[in-house]
Amino acid sequence: MKYVIIGNSYAGLSCADAIRRFDKSGEVVIVSDEKYRAYARPLISYYLEGKTTDETIWYKDDDYYEKNNFQFLPGKKVVSVDTASKRVITEDGENINYDKLFIGPGGTPFIPPTEGFNPDSPMMGTFTRFDDAKKMEKAAKIAKHKEAIVVGGGLIGLKASEGLRGLGLHVTIVELLPRVLGLALDEMSGNITAKRLNENGIDTATGETVTKINLDEAGNPTSVILKSGKELIADIVVVGVGVRPNVGFLEGSGIKIDRGIVVDKTMMTSVQDVYAGGDAAVIYDVINKRPNIIAIVPLACEEGRVAGTNMAGVYREYPGGMGLNSVEIYGLPIVTIGLTNPSNESQKVYIYQDEKVYRKLVYDDEVLVGAILLGDISGSGILSAIIRQGLKSLKYKDEFINGNIYSFVIDNEFEIYNINEGYAIRGDFEDLPEFSRANWR
Amino acid sequence: MNKNKKLTNLKEDLKKNQMEIMLYPSKCDGCIDEGMAACVKACETHMGKKYGSKYTGARINIKKKTGKFFPVICHNCEEAPCVDACMPGARYKDSESGWTITNYKKCVGCWMCVMSCPFGAIERIGKDHFASKCDGCIDEAAPKCVEACKKGALKRTGIRNYSYERRLMVAKKIYGPYIKSI
Repeated sequence: MKYVIIGNSYAGLSCADAIRRFDKSGEVVIVSDEKYRAYARPLISYYLEGKTTDETIWYKDDDYYEKNNFQFLPGKKVVSVDTASKRVITEDGENINYDKLFIGPGGTPFIPPTEGFNPDSPMMGTFTRFDDAKKMEKAAKIAKHKEAIVVGGGLIGLKASEGLRGLGLHVTIVELLPRVLGLALDEMSGNITAKRLNENGIDTATGETVTKINLDEAGNPTSVILKSGKELIADIVVVGVGVRPNVGFLEGSGIKIDRGIVVDKTMMTSVQDVYAGGDAAVIYDVINKRPNIIAIVPLACEEGRVAGTNMAGVYREYPGGMGLNSVEIYGLPIVTIGLTNPSNESQKVYIYQDEKVYRKLVYDDEVLVGAILLGDISGSGILSAIIRQGLKSLKYKDEFINGNIYSFVIDNEFEIYNINEGYAIRGDFEDLPEFSRANWR
Repeated sequence: MNKNKKLTNLKEDLKKNQMEIMLYPSKCDGCIDEGMAACVKACETHMGKKYGSKYTGARINIKKKTGKFFPVICHNCEEAPCVDACMPGARYKDSESGWTITNYKKCVGCWMCVMSCPFGAIERIGKDHFASKCDGCIDEAAPKCVEACKKGALKRTGIRNYSYERRLMVAKKIYGPYIKSI
């Protein structure tokens, strides 16, 4: 059996691991269009700040590919997939045959039409890959006025500006929505976040877009003009508006595409023996109850694992996922889970706020469907488990809102663990030899 | 597709030389008399020694609700959500011991694991910027929290005993007094 995996990141590697768990001998080929072995892609902003270095950015151990007997083909861009004759065609004309194929191509940055944007300039670009970070590191050194413009106030934009700020530049975030992290946060928490950014040398221009980038003779930016007519000096322009599924190369393969790659419960696409996962796959969204693209790391790993298990011949279903994210902005931890900006009138919102902490819970009837936690995030995992499972938890709303999230666990787990001293059910269990590393095979 | 194949691999599971920490919350009183819980204190000291002073901080916590005490500690999930969520690849499954452990040098403090842990067992250490999680004291003879607990609320068991006790606990919750002996 020959497995081919397109994409060398979270979904692809999780798929490879799952295949290896059930199929020790099958041939596994991992194709990547980048020249690096697997690295932690969301960490490129930490790389600029220096929190992650050239030694620690790698996602897996040095000997990961050899140890698991994976054949790794770096620097090979897949240009098309021929599902009829079961082969993958790369840019340099090579054909790779497969028995089972996994597609985890991730996303490509979306660039809104902007006059003057020139991705070839060393001072301009997007911010999703290791090469982008290295380019910005060089650019920051030669920036004359130490002024950077980041287009987009989402997670990519925020992390990019934090990275650039770490290199000593003054950064301005230009965001179309009325607040930063506009899709995940509400007005109040967006303001707290923006305030924290402003205190640390990052300006936010919300409700704005860049209409034109003024260039010098070499094609490098000198300034940007905003929708309101304001002109800002810019040495560096980074576009981090968002990503779109990277599915262009699947044209003509017969694989059904609806924004992303459409998959069934086993993560198989519309074509037999071709599976997909990660940021390019359309999966079931348990909160909004419809197919959706959710581009986050935990779900990419889960999807990859389910796909890999099925590819190795063991049936497994994927129940669907939900959007959740965490980020830290200059010491302010932020967690957003599920539905945070309810549009439906029947959904009730509970808010707690003091100087340091902001909590928001969104209830649909008795079921918790979303939460925002700012400042104090301990126990947020319990909330995400409750939201994902759709547990009825309205009676805990006061405890959750006051930060006693653990009380839910205590109430639900305590009785399970509660064994009375001397209870007769143990039988001759106590006579069993106690387990130790030496006698346990 | 073969629907009869199993998700678990018995051979692989048996190879694991795995220790677990069992909880008996009804015996825990949070060490009120001493001020600070003994397990928390022992863990904090040991972690500082093992990983260096930057990564000190207890990996076990006692949470309280109306007279009930509950030790919050890693449950060592099989397909651990914190491993899936870890962006830098700092958290991983140790194939030798079966424990989910952390390479703190890689941790950048993105709090993805704090957000994912269904037991709330991962704490954010904001000052030094890392996510602290129990490693089961896998290279010690016995976990330090278990050694420190004089109330019998924590116990070290092998994975087979662990599952046996857990099954009894669940059975007892459902059938209670009807279970007399096995």
